[in-house]
Amino acid sequence: MKRTHLLALAVATTALALASCESTPKNSALLTQARDTVAQAGNDPNVTRYAPTELDRARKLLTNAEGAAKEKGASNVTASHYAYLATQMARIAEQRAHEQVAMARIKQGETERQQILLSAREGEAERAKADAAQARNEVQNAQAQIAQAQSEAQRLAAQLEDVQASQTSRGTVLTLGDVLFDTGRAELKPGATRPIEQIAAFLNEHPERHIQVEGFTDSQGPDDYNLELSQKRADAVAMAIIQRGVDAQRVRALGYGEGFPKASNTDAGSRQLNRRVEIVVSNGDQAIPGRTTAGSP
Amino acid sequence: MITVNGLRNFLWCVTAFGIVACASAPMPVEKLAVAKSAIDRAEQAQAAQFAQVELNTARNKYAAAQAAADKHDADIAARMADQAEVDAQLAESTARAKQQEQLVEQMDAGLRDLRNEAQRNSSGAGASAPQPQSQPQN
Repeated sequence: MKRTHLLALAVATTALALASCESTPKNSALLTQARDTVAQAGNDPNVTRYAPTELDRARKLLTNAEGAAKEKGASNVTASHYAYLATQMARIAEQRAHEQVAMARIKQGETERQQILLSAREGEAERAKADAAQARNEVQNAQAQIAQAQSEAQRLAAQLEDVQASQTSRGTVLTLGDVLFDTGRAELKPGATRPIEQIAAFLNEHPERHIQVEGFTDSQGPDDYNLELSQKRADAVAMAIIQRGVDAQRVRALGYGEGFPKASNTDAGSRQLNRRVEIVVSNGDQAIPGRTTAGSP
Repeated sequence: MITVNGLRNFLWCVTAFGIVACASAPMPVEKLAVAKSAIDRAEQAQAAQFAQVELNTARNKYAAAQAAADKHDADIAARMADQAEVDAQLAESTARAKQQEQLVEQMDAGLRDLRNEAQRNSSGAGASAPQPQSQPQN
């Protein structure tokens, strides 16, 4: 008896199941939407990267929906319910991914901001460095100019081997000793040729400079005679320089006679020092100041 | 033997059916609470401003779940509560995403300004820099 009942129950259940299966459509709008939305989220690399948990949940819900649809039909309440949940969960996954992408972008933006500020600071530092270098260069240039002026006498001395040179406030003074002339004469001796050629060559190399040739004697003999002799000797030296290609405008000759002695005139040695021709070479193109120190006859 | 096995199976079936039936019978209080707290979280995330449609959907579903619970329709109440929960979650995540995207826009604008300013500064200095820089080389 019981066996019969059981059999009947089984048959009835199977029939019911079959009947429900036959009448069910395989798709519904909700299920289709769920499949599409879940697939779309699954294809989004940002979703798989940033919201894998939500994507997994959406897929499970979709599986539930598919299962319910297979069993009871796509329009079944349970299938529709799970399809809806799957759709929403896939959308949640996408929104989570959007949020994370934006947050990553903000983090990156902060780095960019720091870089812009850093490079701006570096630019300022470089400009400051360039300014400092410029200031340094200006100082160096000034120092070089001073050094150049200071070495003027040495350079002249080096170029004018046979001439004694010294730097004064009036310019570089070259002293030619009493080897130029015989006693009482104003004609240059052959020995004067070499220093005069050197001076002329120097002036031809430095056309901005000009010279003042100054003649001096010792105190022996009348003052007028000495003055005239010193002027003639200065003129002779100036003329010799001009003849070697130096413009006459750049050469001035002055006789000072017994004035401005270098030594006492009391003995032969000091008198020899006083017999001389001095050539003052201008500093660059500056004018040569006149003699100011007293010492005239 | 068949009889004994069949009887046992039958009893199992009945028990299982009973459990299933009993399980759906009580109102889904917990699901309703979960849905409610999801809606609260969405509201805290400013969903009312940034995900109004999604938040309204969640609220409507929650109201439907409550109405079904009042009518002692446990199945509908449970489904509506579940749906209200995911709707609220979507509202929350949408609101959060939109706010972050808004921040990105603001940040991009800020970066643009900063870049322009940096460029102006460097080009402004660049125009005057070559003059002093060329002097020391003379």
